[in-house]
Amino acid sequence: MTRLGRPLYPRGVPRPPSPERSPTLGLLLGLIVTLAAVVAYSAYITWQVAGLRKLQAELIDRNRKDSLQLLRIQNDLNLLAVAMRDMIDNDEPYPLTAWSAQFKRIRTDLDDAMRLEAGLAPTSRTLEQSASLSSSLTQFWGAVDRVFELAGSGQDKSAREQIQLSLQARQAALNTTVARLLVQNSENEEQAAARIVQIYDRVQRQAYVFLAATLAAILLTGFSMIRWNRQLFARMAELSERRSELAQKLIATQESTLRYISRELHDEFGQILTAMGSMLGRAGVHAPEGSSLRTDLQEVRQIAQDTLDRVRSLSQALHPVMLDEVGLESTLDWYIPTVERQTGIAISYEKQGQPFDVDGSAAVQVYRVLQEALNNSARHSGAKQAWVRLRFLPATLELEVEDHGVGFSGRPVRQGIGLVAMRERSELMGGQIVFSTPDAGGTLLHLTVPREKVEARGRD
Amino acid sequence: MNRRSFLGGIAGLASVSQWPLLRAMGAAVEVTPSPGFRLVDVTSSAGIQFQHNSGAFGGKFLPETLGSGCAFLDYDRDGWQDILLINGMDWPGHKQRRSTLRLYHNNRNGTFTDVTSSAGLDVEMYGMGVAVGDYDNDGFPDILITCVGQNRLFHNTGKGTFLDVTNASGLGKRLGFSTSALWFDYDRDGLLDLFVCNYVKWSPERDVFCSLDGKHKSYCTPEAYRGETCWLFHNRGNGTFEDVTASSGIFDSSSKSLGIAMLDEDQSGWPDLLVANDTQPNKLYRNLRNGTFRDAAVEAGLAFSSEGKARAGMGVDVADFMNSGRSGVAITNFDNEMTGLYECGGKTYEDVAAQAGVGLASKNSLGFGCVFFDANLDGWLDLAVANGHIDETVRNIRGNVGYAQPPLLFLNNGTGKFRDIAPEVGAGFERPKVGRGLAYADFDRDGDLDLLLTTNNGPAYLYRNDQLTGNHSIRFRLVGTKSNRDGIGATVHIVSGGLSQWRMVKSGSSYLSQSELPLTFGLEKRDRIERVVIIWPSGGTEEFQNLAAGRCYECTEGKGISPLDGY
Repeated sequence: MTRLGRPLYPRGVPRPPSPERSPTLGLLLGLIVTLAAVVAYSAYITWQVAGLRKLQAELIDRNRKDSLQLLRIQNDLNLLAVAMRDMIDNDEPYPLTAWSAQFKRIRTDLDDAMRLEAGLAPTSRTLEQSASLSSSLTQFWGAVDRVFELAGSGQDKSAREQIQLSLQARQAALNTTVARLLVQNSENEEQAAARIVQIYDRVQRQAYVFLAATLAAILLTGFSMIRWNRQLFARMAELSERRSELAQKLIATQESTLRYISRELHDEFGQILTAMGSMLGRAGVHAPEGSSLRTDLQEVRQIAQDTLDRVRSLSQALHPVMLDEVGLESTLDWYIPTVERQTGIAISYEKQGQPFDVDGSAAVQVYRVLQEALNNSARHSGAKQAWVRLRFLPATLELEVEDHGVGFSGRPVRQGIGLVAMRERSELMGGQIVFSTPDAGGTLLHLTVPREKVEARGRD
Repeated sequence: MNRRSFLGGIAGLASVSQWPLLRAMGAAVEVTPSPGFRLVDVTSSAGIQFQHNSGAFGGKFLPETLGSGCAFLDYDRDGWQDILLINGMDWPGHKQRRSTLRLYHNNRNGTFTDVTSSAGLDVEMYGMGVAVGDYDNDGFPDILITCVGQNRLFHNTGKGTFLDVTNASGLGKRLGFSTSALWFDYDRDGLLDLFVCNYVKWSPERDVFCSLDGKHKSYCTPEAYRGETCWLFHNRGNGTFEDVTASSGIFDSSSKSLGIAMLDEDQSGWPDLLVANDTQPNKLYRNLRNGTFRDAAVEAGLAFSSEGKARAGMGVDVADFMNSGRSGVAITNFDNEMTGLYECGGKTYEDVAAQAGVGLASKNSLGFGCVFFDANLDGWLDLAVANGHIDETVRNIRGNVGYAQPPLLFLNNGTGKFRDIAPEVGAGFERPKVGRGLAYADFDRDGDLDLLLTTNNGPAYLYRNDQLTGNHSIRFRLVGTKSNRDGIGATVHIVSGGLSQWRMVKSGSSYLSQSELPLTFGLEKRDRIERVVIIWPSGGTEEFQNLAAGRCYECTEGKGISPLDGY
């Protein structure tokens, strides 16, 4: 057969693996590798972010907070400078001691700012720097106290001189120190910003690597899936092939058996019964006219004849010998009226086209399909009428069987062996069978077989 | 079906139908209830014809931007609040007209008569603010006018006239740029002392050239000038005052003060002071009970904005707007800085303006005068703010900010939320003005509080409050005996129908202005109060029970309480 002659697997597709080899293991492995990559990259990112956060919290934020406190100190120093200028200007009607509350307020704020600043000072600050600021401030306040002592004792003029000679210079020096610290903080911040840029660059590179690895894993898994799918489909195709082959063998065996039984019935039992009828006829001639023996012999002869008819009928039913003898077209001419009589369904039989000889084995398949379709109509459709159309077309042989019964929708969904057999028979002929529902309801079977597959002369 | 049920039906339908527009309409209707009162502009009908003179001639002198204040006072003790409007004058060398402050006598029929000349107040000065207090305890309120130059103290003779006692009192020969002032008894000796704010060291001779374009002179910001200390004068009790600025710890040459309010921040019974400074940290002078003060503004959270920035503080008022027994604070600031609304949470204050609905609404306003008062007599103090920019050309720079700006009137719903209802209380109130001073009083004695608003280089406005819902109120006029006669610094606590309210009799507050001294408590529909507790500045406490609403009571320290005829 042609189909059996074709290669079982498409080129490039390896033979399916043995059933014990499952793709699950490979897929699981891929999944684990991917998950491991995600976890590893997440851990890396977490680590980098933690580092970034640490850098931000410990360096940048701390630096900024420190700068804010330094600015607060600078502001207080400026307030002191303004107050000292007012004290020297001497345009208030109050003694210099009036400024003591103002200085006290600023000192409170300055001390608070210094305390907070000391806790926020960057690690790059040297001990000498810290000590210098602290001691300068202590010296400044010492000088302030001396000024107010002088003012308190009524020596405003001396106090003002002290402000000009000592306090203002100390304040300016403090201001310079604080300004330097602010510049240092600014430089620290720039360095930290550069480190942050480096971290971002590193993370960006790693992100690209991770992306590439993830893409590779996805591609690998995808190709694996495709490969396994192709193997799976090949396996299914093989099974389908085997099933089809089995079905074809079953059909062939069935036909062969039925043909054998039909022949046996027709040839053996038919001849025996024919001989019995002839002998009983001759025996009846020798029996006296009007005797009971003659009557009995005629009855027996009639029974033998009836049995002969039934045997022939059964033989035809099992395998219409007519197919082998007169072909498909004539067999259907005989068969369809027979079915009409047996089932009581009115069958409109229509032939179209120029008839051609149909190969014996193909004729059996077409006949069986028709037989099964009409059986179904009689047994399941509930229809009182059926239409059979046989078309001899230039390229195909077509058979249509139509009824307007309950159709497939009115029957149980389970596909019977009959339908399976019809499909197998059509495939045996290289044809196609389609079941549909006509506009008026019921069932329409449409069998199309390539002419070169069924025409007696055209066959290989 | 009445209006309420109809609107309720709409809201219900909207919630069921999920129809956004209808739902929005329902919601809009729900959140705009009637404020319950109207503010009617009665300036003309009351006979107030005042025009402020800033003296502006093109020299762009700094004081020209600040306007002047106003006060309600009962100078003749007839029980009806009179009006005092402070005025500037032309600068020397640019004299074109004569302008003086104006004293308007209340005719008890909704109209006023200008009695400036007869009262002896027809004096030219570059007036800024006013503080009214009976510093000699003779029963008649005296007047301090703060000025650019020499401040003036006018003693009330009790005969409808005033005498300038500036030099005799020891306040003379002291030039400055004074702004707001108040009377208070910081040492609790029964005599009112005087606190005067000063802005910056400015005089026409010290004027600095500032310019936006490098060619034409413009008004300088306060940063261009050095600060000036506030002054504290102790009342010696003999009609003279002693400058205790330095010895009391008030002296601070960095301050640029515009607003002053008294409060009892630490609930010690000793009056403290809150000074609003422009571009400098605000000051909270805590009374140390020994004649000295200590600035505690930073630790109290009142010195800076919540971002730690010194804002341009202008006006200030203090009152218990949450009826919690602790005073809250309102400080008006420059535009884009929002009005500060501070709530006391234990030992510190927190600016809740944004959460309360005051912040955003005041963001594009430059606020000056501000007063807490119960506008709708529902028992919850509302907040009125006078706005107006200092720069006539501001709209060229900031399109959404104008020179004239509408006042704001925030209605307190009792849950810490305020809503600006200025556009809903009358056709004229929300009209943009270059607002400066702001004060309240019940000038028509109908039990609700009316508003007086001054503008810079423009007219003053008198708004009569007409209640629409029939809410009740009760008023108290305090007369001190052991305490100062005005009872300034006394705290009054009333309890009525589950509602507790606290008020303090205070001078000063707002901006350059002073409101009436009698206290008004809104009671909504309550027709009486269960009790009233008066804590006098002297330390004594008196309690009275079961007083009917709808009238004013005069309470004399140690001598009981008596109802007056009506409010």
